Amino acid sequence: MPQLTCIDPNDQAIDVTFEPGETVLQATYRAGVDGILAECGGGCSCATCHVILNADWDGTLDAPSVQEADMLSFAIDPTPHSRLACQVQLNDKHDGLTLTVAKRQY
Amino acid sequence: MKIGIVGAGQAACTLIAELIRGQFDGEIIVFNGESHSPYQRPPLSKSWLADPTETESLRLLPEPIERHHSIQWIQSQVKAIEPDHGVIVTNNVSYTVDHIVLATGTRAKKLSIDGLSSEKTHVIRTLDDVMSLTSALDGVANIAILGAGFLAFELASSLKHPTRTIRVLAKGIRALPQISVKAADRLLDATPASIRVGVTVERYDEDNAALITNHGPIPADLVIMAIGAEPNIELAHACGLAANEGIPTDAYMQTPHPRVSAIGEVSLHEQPHLNQRIRIESISEANDTASTLAKRLLGQPEPFHATPWFWSDQGDLKLQIAGLSARTDEETVLINSETECVVIRHQGDRVTAIEAVNAAKEFMAARRLFEQGTISLENLLNAGSVFSLLQSSRS
Ligand SMILES: Cc1cc2nc3c(=O)[nH]c(=O)nc-3n(C[C@H](O)[C@H](O)[C@H](O)COP(=O)(O)OP(=O)(O)OC[C@H]3O[C@@H](n4cnc5c(N)ncnc54)[C@H](O)[C@@H]3O)c2cc1C
Ligand code: FES
Repeated sequence: MPQLTCIDPNDQAIDVTFEPGETVLQATYRAGVDGILAECGGGCSCATCHVILNADWDGTLDAPSVQEADMLSFAIDPTPHSRLACQVQLNDKHDGLTLTVAKRQY
Repeated sequence: MKIGIVGAGQAACTLIAELIRGQFDGEIIVFNGESHSPYQRPPLSKSWLADPTETESLRLLPEPIERHHSIQWIQSQVKAIEPDHGVIVTNNVSYTVDHIVLATGTRAKKLSIDGLSSEKTHVIRTLDDVMSLTSALDGVANIAILGAGFLAFELASSLKHPTRTIRVLAKGIRALPQISVKAADRLLDATPASIRVGVTVERYDEDNAALITNHGPIPADLVIMAIGAEPNIELAHACGLAANEGIPTDAYMQTPHPRVSAIGEVSLHEQPHLNQRIRIESISEANDTASTLAKRLLGQPEPFHATPWFWSDQGDLKLQIAGLSARTDEETVLINSETECVVIRHQGDRVTAIEAVNAAKEFMAARRLFEQGTISLENLLNAGSVFSLLQSSRS
């Protein structure tokens, strides 16, 4: 199975396997990666699933929707590489990539 | 300390997750009255219904938390509790705990209609309900949805299909009465359902597959009842801890009995945002009451102080509400562009809620402002948008 490396808020690296088609939230949440709260369960309404993607992700994803970008602007310290884990759908191209969970979700 | 949690829904699972994350050093016994491991309800009427895949995607608890050594899962309905002795009784076993948490949620209301068989009657509260609906959809050309709240229109969007006609039948004089007329219009413009208001159902005519109503016959191969929910208060009622409309608690989710707490949408407590004791049915209420109780059980009590918020997806439209309004609150339109619609609900100058359609920034700004205190209508109108008001409050 393809996998991601997730750096949690305690700077621990955790390997997370995923099924293509799943969202980053589904994969990381199932694995119990610390620091992802996802209060709305993927409804793009809470901004507590904030992750920061490494540069290797560039070109593998469509830009965030207006809705996602608006929600992200209320995350704590968003960066240009910030995304909401519930809005990023994974495919085979993402095998081996790394992301960092935001230090704080609110 | 041993905690027994009755119910394994949203509030129970948030409590469990926060206790585990907070290094709770006692034991937790959870009584799950459903036959599935804990799952999320909101997708049941939205994305999941539109495209039912495996149930894993509905998972409510991270695997390491669900399997945590301090948790014991009992797949059984609780039949009774005895608060004085800390006893929880299932079909055949009694368990003794130090503290009982009632997180029993609500159940869908059902109307009995003359002539309508149970196979043709559906409600949407549980995963089993949705599975039974999806397995009954083959060859169905006419769906009637009774009730005209968020659930009804989410269902209509998710069940949209070229071969199906979906009719939403409202008893009252308007659809989506929970929100402003303006915000409701935006959502209703996009609904695939046709809407009838002021409908009273008399009976079901099996031979012609139609509901007989005061508006004449309405074709219905199946009927979905989305007419609201009633709280599961029987366990509390049997020991004198329930009021008709819920299980009353203080601001720390404690019932009058020292061994019993109640969380989630069954709990009835003071909502500081409204200065009112009411029961709220939403994920934010489930999560915030659970967090309040978790803090108390972890020895860091803080009174409930959250502002309610809510969202609903109808196809491509996303409604987000910060705060909570009464149906009688006034409405003033703040933004109404081709893409966005933002309506202020208020009682005089005091803003009670912001209803945002496809306007996430306004919704989030409103949540932040409500966390800081009250919002004045005049200030908001002068600022022109919730976002600008938030920015000016920060500078
Ligand atoms: C289809 C649908 C869509 C929704 N969409 C949204 C949305 O978009 N946004 C939003 O904010 N909210 C939404 N909600 C509401 C939200 O899901 C609820 O407010 C939330 O689940 C309440 O959590 P709870 O833990 O209080 O109750 P529940 O999640 O209902 O959990 C209670 C559990 O207790 C169990 N139980 C009851 N009695 C017993 C007993 N005696 N023994 C053992 N177990 C028992 C029940 O079977 C149930 O599993 C939606 C609800 C539904 C049904
Ligand atoms: S889970 Fe709430 S926005 Fe992603």
